[in-house]
Amino acid sequence: MSALPQVALAAALRVLVRATDPARREALRQLVIDAGHLPVDSPSGADAVLSDQLQVEGFAPMPEPSPRTLFTPREVEVLAGIGDGLTNKMIARRLAISPHTVKFHVESMLKKLGARTRAEAVAKAREHTLGNTVEF
Amino acid sequence: MTELLEQLSSELAARTAALQGAVAAIRLPRERHVSAIVWRGDAVLASEQSLPQREQFDLVLPGGAEAQARLAGRDAGTNVAVLRLSQPLAPFALASGEARSGALAVALGADGIGAASVRLGLVNHAGPQWHSLAGGLIDRRIALDLRLARAEEGGPVFSAAGAFLGMSTLGARSRVLVIPAATLERVVPLLLKEGRVARGWLGVALHPVAVPDALRGEAGQPSGLMVMSLVEGGPAAKAGVVAGDIVLSVNDAAASGFRRIAGQFGPDRIGRKAVLRVIRGGTLLSLDALIEARPAA
Repeated sequence: MSALPQVALAAALRVLVRATDPARREALRQLVIDAGHLPVDSPSGADAVLSDQLQVEGFAPMPEPSPRTLFTPREVEVLAGIGDGLTNKMIARRLAISPHTVKFHVESMLKKLGARTRAEAVAKAREHTLGNTVEF
Repeated sequence: MTELLEQLSSELAARTAALQGAVAAIRLPRERHVSAIVWRGDAVLASEQSLPQREQFDLVLPGGAEAQARLAGRDAGTNVAVLRLSQPLAPFALASGEARSGALAVALGADGIGAASVRLGLVNHAGPQWHSLAGGLIDRRIALDLRLARAEEGGPVFSAAGAFLGMSTLGARSRVLVIPAATLERVVPLLLKEGRVARGWLGVALHPVAVPDALRGEAGQPSGLMVMSLVEGGPAAKAGVVAGDIVLSVNDAAASGFRRIAGQFGPDRIGRKAVLRVIRGGTLLSLDALIEARPAA
């Protein structure tokens, strides 16, 4: 399972960026740079991994949402935007709402996810979204 | 007391010796292997998740003889893979039994050179049927109170009386689960015949959401499943479902969680109608979709 370490207290980290889609990979690289870290391509010497694939280890049951972590439809859309590595402005454009509203949602979700930085929120948002999305 | 322990010990050793004819090893790269069950005729069963995406495998049979096998079929939904041996093997008689919570269980693995490694534990929990993340129906939930090395996954699990309970499988957080004998009996013939297990499919990725306050009364439930993405030309797309719709129910199953609607997508539902009650833009509507077979991965 991938998570970005607490960025605030660490010096620049070498972050291995993994994504199959090149555009998404570029977005994730940019995000790592914006957070003051160094994106790398090889696992050797990497301090952390930012991946768009959630690796569920082992044969798992279908997840069951808990009422406490249930987001509203708008929050889920903003969350998906964060997970895609979009900025607030880009999310606002995608959802045709004001950047101010996006900021409000982002802050509320940072709290719900227990994330302190945006980079951490990206990792957690992706984990949450992938871990709770099932194809039928 | 000493006598009792000795008895238990020698019984277990004798049982292992008698049952190790049911265990084979499947060779993996870098000197590794996983375990497999010698099934009827020329079939060998393994844990699907532990098997690399290949067609041809090298095996070590009970006793140490080497053999080749071809993949006959695999199903991620129930974690079962079936290989067909190029040379049929004398079948090993497995008598199925039911797991009971608190009973002793013996899990056999392959040592990679023709014999078995053994684990002993309790049936930690034997519960009702469940659906896996990949959508497969597992006839019973059986968890064991023991640890298993990666190489031992896919081996047979027996009761103290020597009855075959199922195939060992590593679950989340290295928990050891058993794919019950009943599930194997159901899935293996399908895999041998068709190479896969067909499942009902709508072509939507769903994510749980809270139903907006204003619509809760009308919806009759506090949560639903939002459509995150659709497969182009899939059954849901053809029925007029769009991304952002909140699914409230599938036929008569409330979509307040995944597990409740999982039963609507069994193999028997292919070609049947699914009535989807959804919220779109603040109003409730009903859409009719025709369930298709999930395309092969």
